[in-house]
Amino acid sequence: MSNGDEAAAIDRALAELREGFLPRFRAAATEQALRDENAKISGKKGELTAILSLLGKAAPERRKEMGQKINAVKQEVEAGFQTALGELRRKARQAELEAPPFDLTLPARVPTSAGHKHPIAAVREDVVAVFRSLGFAVFDGPDIEHEANNFSMLGFPPDHPATDMQDSFWTDQKLLLRTHTSNIQIRAMTTLKPPMAFIAPGTVYRRDDDATHSPMFHQIEAFLVDKKVTLAHLKGVLAEFAERLYGPGTPVRLRPSYFPFVEPGAEVDIGCVFCKSADGTRKGCSLCKHTGWIEVLGCGMIHPVVFENCGIDPEEWSGFALGMGLERIAMLRYGIPSIKLLFENDPRFLAQF
Amino acid sequence: MKASYTWLRELVPQLTASPKDLAARLTGAGLEVEGITEYGEGAAACLLAAVVSIRPHPTKSGLRLVTVDRGEATQELVCGAPNVPDPGGMVVLAPLGAHLPAVNMTIAKRAIGGVESEGMLCSETELGLSDQGEGILVFPPGFAKPGTSFTTVVPNARDTVFEIGLTPNRPDGLGHVGLAREICALYGFPFSLPKAAAAPESAIATKELVTIAVEDAERCPHYGAAGAVEVTIGPSPLAIRYRLQALGVRSISNVVDVTNILMLEWGHPMHAFDLDRVRPAATPKIVVRRAKDGEAITTLDGVARSLVPDDLLICDGEGPTALAGIMGGADSEIHAGTKRVLFEVAWFEPRGVRRSGRRHGMHTESSHRFERGVDPGDVAHVLARAVALTCELAGAKATKGQLHVHGPKVLAEPEAPARRVIPLRAHRIGDLLGVEVPFAEATGILERLGCAVTAKGEGVAEVLAPTHRPDLAREVDLVEEVIRVRGMDAVPAELPPVRASRDVGGREELASRARAAAVALGLSEAITFSFTSRAKLVALSAPEPAVVLANPLGEHQAVMRTTLLPGLLDAVQNARRHGERDVREFTVGPVFLAREPSRAPAREADQVLPDERLRLAAVLAGERPAWLARSVAVDVWDMKGIALELAQRLSGKAATTEPADRAAIPAHLHPRGAGHVLVDGARIGTFGILHPDAVEALELDGEVLVLEMELDPFAAGPKLPAYAPIPRFPASPRDIALVVKDGIPAGEVEAAVRAAAGPLAEDVRLFDRFVGGQVPAGCSSLAFRVVYRAEDRTLTDAEVDAAHGNVVKDVGARFGATLRT
Repeated sequence: MSNGDEAAAIDRALAELREGFLPRFRAAATEQALRDENAKISGKKGELTAILSLLGKAAPERRKEMGQKINAVKQEVEAGFQTALGELRRKARQAELEAPPFDLTLPARVPTSAGHKHPIAAVREDVVAVFRSLGFAVFDGPDIEHEANNFSMLGFPPDHPATDMQDSFWTDQKLLLRTHTSNIQIRAMTTLKPPMAFIAPGTVYRRDDDATHSPMFHQIEAFLVDKKVTLAHLKGVLAEFAERLYGPGTPVRLRPSYFPFVEPGAEVDIGCVFCKSADGTRKGCSLCKHTGWIEVLGCGMIHPVVFENCGIDPEEWSGFALGMGLERIAMLRYGIPSIKLLFENDPRFLAQF
Repeated sequence: MKASYTWLRELVPQLTASPKDLAARLTGAGLEVEGITEYGEGAAACLLAAVVSIRPHPTKSGLRLVTVDRGEATQELVCGAPNVPDPGGMVVLAPLGAHLPAVNMTIAKRAIGGVESEGMLCSETELGLSDQGEGILVFPPGFAKPGTSFTTVVPNARDTVFEIGLTPNRPDGLGHVGLAREICALYGFPFSLPKAAAAPESAIATKELVTIAVEDAERCPHYGAAGAVEVTIGPSPLAIRYRLQALGVRSISNVVDVTNILMLEWGHPMHAFDLDRVRPAATPKIVVRRAKDGEAITTLDGVARSLVPDDLLICDGEGPTALAGIMGGADSEIHAGTKRVLFEVAWFEPRGVRRSGRRHGMHTESSHRFERGVDPGDVAHVLARAVALTCELAGAKATKGQLHVHGPKVLAEPEAPARRVIPLRAHRIGDLLGVEVPFAEATGILERLGCAVTAKGEGVAEVLAPTHRPDLAREVDLVEEVIRVRGMDAVPAELPPVRASRDVGGREELASRARAAAVALGLSEAITFSFTSRAKLVALSAPEPAVVLANPLGEHQAVMRTTLLPGLLDAVQNARRHGERDVREFTVGPVFLAREPSRAPAREADQVLPDERLRLAAVLAGERPAWLARSVAVDVWDMKGIALELAQRLSGKAATTEPADRAAIPAHLHPRGAGHVLVDGARIGTFGILHPDAVEALELDGEVLVLEMELDPFAAGPKLPAYAPIPRFPASPRDIALVVKDGIPAGEVEAAVRAAAGPLAEDVRLFDRFVGGQVPAGCSSLAFRVVYRAEDRTLTDAEVDAAHGNVVKDVGARFGATLRT
């Protein structure tokens, strides 16, 4: 075979290829089929390679020319492949986009869903946060306490009806389950020197188990001891507390009351959170016994006898203390009708908070 | 304390405030009005009518047709009462439209046995006046003009009653006189004590009737007595009867009612003896003494009580007649034939009354007042009022003179009780309250409350506390009175400058972090009781209780927990009883353990307290949610994951677990599935499958997984993460599946893979475990993915293949593991 024949054969083959590759690419229905077809042309064992192998046999003076021709076709094929590929992908995307929608009504797949804080804990953390932001720190104390820290150092007179309010669980003569978090006042004031600003959240126990009482419940005590602390300061802190916990503009009312370890002592009402209307007035509801007020905590100025029992001079220092039951706050906040629900730990209950 | 609005208005004639306003003012001053109820609302709608004629009902036996004159007209109505009076007698008519709330009835026209009836003749029950409804109310002819409103003729038949929640420091509020004094102070009215009316006097002197000996003057510093003779026992007039009824006290007889009225008036309980029953009959004698050990008395409630020497008794010449200040005995009671009465008004030491009351489980109207401290200064007043009222109601005559026994002294007039002298400095008022109160205003308030104030220089006064206010003991009590009467609304609200403190203890923050971690892991928080039963601790192989309650509410809450699990398992049991199978809960709280020497408390005094260790416990039960697939029961690997994650999040370090040593598995855990979780090589918790015996003992109805871990090791907070460079070169993963004999722990194989893979292996992970199929029996196929990477270059295939080849060779050699084909 002459060299001229070779060149002619290359030309023919190239012409044929050129004629046929586009329809062949277009015929491919899938990307894989397209790639297979492309491999048949441009692959290692493809038609173009076969044509290229003829080049060596062509007349040397024409090789460059023929090489360029082959290369041109190769580039045409590559361009054609890319176009076809693009077209195919566009079509596929279009088809995918137009396919029936996913069934979004199927249940969601939730990444390990988080659990729930107990409502009492949520309230506890919120109250602690409010007081922390006012500069109070947390003081821990034990659940099982000396009688002295729980009662006598706080000025509870022995054999006095005041202790009726707090019927206790005793473990022996001198130890009991603390009946309130006020024991922390004594623990703080007998170990540290004033000034001090503490909050004491904790578990407390009273011998009472009926529809409205749980033998174990929770309180938070807050107390501030410094020079010239006044009842006005107490009111200020209470107003701030109500504002932050129950919402802006929540009114606070003090009613004189009696706790052995404060004087003057007061109970604190906040404007009813249930029957509050948009204009801030309250028309009364069954939850506030139609008074527009709800009792939330007890407070007062620390009794001088408490200071004296702790070796602090009541002429030099004064202070206030306040204590609240967390169950009551949680019940008010979430509309929980019975204290019992708080201790049953029913998963369907806990999942609501 | 129930208080009558009508009575208060009698004592405070200037009072014009409505019941609602008065209630608000009292509440604002610390005497909280907890409720307001109406007494005799039905009575107010009724008229007095005179019976004109009576004839039988045409069809119904037992019913009669009664014609009554109601002033402007007569009318006939049907009546079933057996006691309709003869014509002329008067009855109470509820006319058409009258509402009787006590029986929830509004009078309407209705036919009874074919006869139209437009009204009803009423009993006390129907009027809401008492619960004694035997027949209709009947009055003698001419009692009132027919048509007169019932309540204008019988005034106390209509009243408004306050329920006042008194704090224990205010015994003066337990009587209407004390409340009236308080109201006068609050409204600025003058106050005067009610006076005893002049009473007809007998020639007999009280001291001739009885001798009184007080052997324990500490427990009874003052015993007062007065007498009345020629007494005729009978019912009280309606005004007394209804006043008592309104206040929840049943009317008994005129003399007994006198003692109750006086108690409600003065808040000072008293006692009436039938002098003819005080022994010995010839020379009646009263002795106030302590009980002898084992001495017995049967109190009015019919209970025989065995006494101890701390009990104070009122005795006659032969034996005990009353537990002083608490309850009388049956023997010397007033009865229908009583002719001579001796009234006792005493002052008993409050703490003693309280101890006796508690010892005998008794709480009476009397002990309630004595243990709070009655007014030692009103004894003579109360006696005089009692005698005068007896003369008025029972046609009696007063015996001459009162007896006042103060220890060995028997006097005609009482000794004045000691009054506290309290210095008051003007500046202390502003210092404590944060609001300036003019000193004159402050002392004025104190005077209105019954204090005597003497100026002692500029801004200083000496205040003499009244005997009815045992709570006024020091300056600060006076300051409180000032602001109480003035109203706390007058105090401004001011934020204090707070000099910040530093946390002490740190358990709050620790618990908070543990809570956040557990919640993030899908657990919900339970709050569980700190007490539990001994039986549950035993079932859970927990340490013996270190704290046992002396007075638990029951066996189920008798000891302080030494494990957190009982409360959580109660929640599981409770949920399952309600058909809820899935429980994923945790709790954070202390367990109460015996104190070990290594855990000394911060203060010496607390050495006697138990060691309260903060722990976290969790339970998993039921199924793990899956997506569009059948849910799968949770298993021990779920709990392992929670244990590891919690430990890691709380410590900030890598945590590990190890299976419990077969010989030392905690008894409450399943021997096949129990493990420990470790941080820094130290065990900080235990997890596993609850032992089937425990499941049974605690009635949990199915498998439960448990975890309990200490939180104290994490008190310092988590270790901070330290930055490690992000890999710059790609990883090359290789998989390997090994068939190993059962009994070879996967962890061991994994460790071997890791060791064999060498330093280029960044991660080794078991991703599949397959049993059956081509895997021979007694073996399982473990598929690991080993990820190879170098820090400084892209690994070549040859390098990775070489490392991975070691794995195939070494692990195969070590475990006889064969590559799965």
